[in-house]
Amino acid sequence: MDMGKTILEVNELTTRYITRFGESVYAVDHVSLKVEEGKSLGIAGESGCGKSTLALSLMGYYFPPLHYMSGAILIDGRNISGMNPDDVRKLILGKEIAYIPQAAMNALNPTQKVIRFIEDVIQVHDYGATKRDIYERARALFEKLGLPASVLEKYPVELSGGMKQRTVIAISVLLSPKVLIADEPSSALDVTSQKMVIKMFRQLMNDGLIGSLIFITHELPLLYNVTDDIMVMYAGQIVERANAKAAVFDPLHPYSKGLMGSIIVPEEGLRNVKLAAIPGVPPNLKNPPSGCRFAERCKYVTPECRVTTVNLREIEDGRTYRCIFSENELREAYQNG
Amino acid sequence: MKGYQKYFLNKLSWFLITFVFAFLLNFILPRLMPGDPVAAIVSRVAQGMSNTSGVQAIYEQYARLFGTNRPIHEQFFIYIGNVARGDFGFSISQYPRTVFDVIRSSIMWTIALQFPAIIVGWLIGNTLGALAAYLKGGFDKILMPVSIFVSNFPAFGMAVILMVIFGVALEWFPTSGGYGFDLIPEFSWKFIRSVISHYQLPFWSIVLIAIGGQAIGMRSMAIYELNADYVKYARFMGIKDRKIIGYVFRNAMLPQITGLALSIGTMVGGALVAEIVFSYPGLGYTILNGVMGQDYPLISATTLIITIMVLSANFLIEILYGIIDPRIKAAQAD
Repeated sequence: MDMGKTILEVNELTTRYITRFGESVYAVDHVSLKVEEGKSLGIAGESGCGKSTLALSLMGYYFPPLHYMSGAILIDGRNISGMNPDDVRKLILGKEIAYIPQAAMNALNPTQKVIRFIEDVIQVHDYGATKRDIYERARALFEKLGLPASVLEKYPVELSGGMKQRTVIAISVLLSPKVLIADEPSSALDVTSQKMVIKMFRQLMNDGLIGSLIFITHELPLLYNVTDDIMVMYAGQIVERANAKAAVFDPLHPYSKGLMGSIIVPEEGLRNVKLAAIPGVPPNLKNPPSGCRFAERCKYVTPECRVTTVNLREIEDGRTYRCIFSENELREAYQNG
Repeated sequence: MKGYQKYFLNKLSWFLITFVFAFLLNFILPRLMPGDPVAAIVSRVAQGMSNTSGVQAIYEQYARLFGTNRPIHEQFFIYIGNVARGDFGFSISQYPRTVFDVIRSSIMWTIALQFPAIIVGWLIGNTLGALAAYLKGGFDKILMPVSIFVSNFPAFGMAVILMVIFGVALEWFPTSGGYGFDLIPEFSWKFIRSVISHYQLPFWSIVLIAIGGQAIGMRSMAIYELNADYVKYARFMGIKDRKIIGYVFRNAMLPQITGLALSIGTMVGGALVAEIVFSYPGLGYTILNGVMGQDYPLISATTLIITIMVLSANFLIEILYGIIDPRIKAAQAD
């Protein structure tokens, strides 16, 4: 059991989208998680399973169509889910918790120089900061992260895709946030830029520029290389959480099993595994199925699965999964194919 | 700055090339109209004369005066020389007034009518469009259909509707002219009041149509920008909504500025309809008279003014854009 200090604790967080027609879509459904100082957590899952919505929901700052329903988000012991939105904006965003959007390529205002945006960001939290100080701070950070200081005086259009991405990451960590949430920060990049971005995340952790990292992606091999733990989401719920190695090589939940089976990880033992896709699509979250949400697509489904509410079960060292079968039953089922 | 110089020179050379062609067309097109305007004047002057050789002599005198006795390419070079000296010659239809005099007396009416109308329409339209995008809901649901409805009125339709309602039925404002027909232009309260009340109907007929179009354009640009990724990112970095709205409207405004500059450029041509419907003594009305009277010098001079205004407006936009929007500079410099 790790004895590190818990930096992010989320209890039963539920958020929903309200559509134009007034329907509710519960994209994050009673999600609980913990991240310790200096640790990183990866979140995996198919498109539409709620990964990105979870990232948005963790910020504690909601704007339509996303709405907060219930649950708590504690950063370093402080509950931000009950705070007034303007206080969240001034005291929390960027400083305690920061975000790197999915399309970081377009995350910068096209008609604003990078340094002008940095000035706006810093002045939210540090009203008296002079332009001179801000420039010096930004330059020091950029150079530390291997970005040329000349980037500061450029417009986003003058930067390459990879450079833009790294610039956005640098801006996100300007105020040394305790939690950094990166939503698919590398999916739009070529492999070389991807590698630089990954190296940058490692450096952020090692240099203590961020307290902890939540990394969202559909690229599992990447998670295995970057994060300590991996959490798998399905239809707005957590279906499994384990350390990175166990999540990739020894998944318990049939969905995780299917997800891991559908990728190639160049590691020993996986050489002879046949690639398999999971048939079907995730359920519509306007009317989530009662019982197990994965039942429709599960190879091992029983009639009971469709009616019983399935809770997360915890087995050794914080490893959890959501299935009515016990660990042994699952392992046996996988053995028999 | 080298990239920008190249951009500037590129735009300047296009400006000059377009100007040369437009200048040529301005000269040739009116002269391609069938009919002989000189004959029309002569028949007016020579009314009641029975002496054929006398009429012939008068015709030749006028033909020499207007230069129509020479071959067209010679006329063209003489025209260039005269224009370079600022001399547009005599108006044929309003002889003996000079073209310069005719234009001088009408252009101020057009500018005073159109310029404020365009600016007011643009400001109101953009403000409403931006508010509709930001507030959404009921405001948007009412404003949009109304804007679409109003902006699709043809200009003359709007002018006639206003004239019928406020001029004929309610009799709030006079329906024609720039000032009372019984007054002479002077600085007196009576005259100024008359000008202001004559001003209302043409002014609002232009403003109303402009508001609708601008509001629609601004609304869709602002909605697009409000959903851009940089807005979400800026929000999550704790930037105030007010500041983000500033980013959004600056970006949404760029295409709208083009629209503004273009409508200022096409001001004179755009004035035609409102001025004709309300018999407003502006340049648009003058152009119409010029065309009716086959007044080559007057048509060429007025169309030249339009050409210069449109081209300069376009040129200015491109230059300003290069400064305001780094994306355009980057795309055009290489």
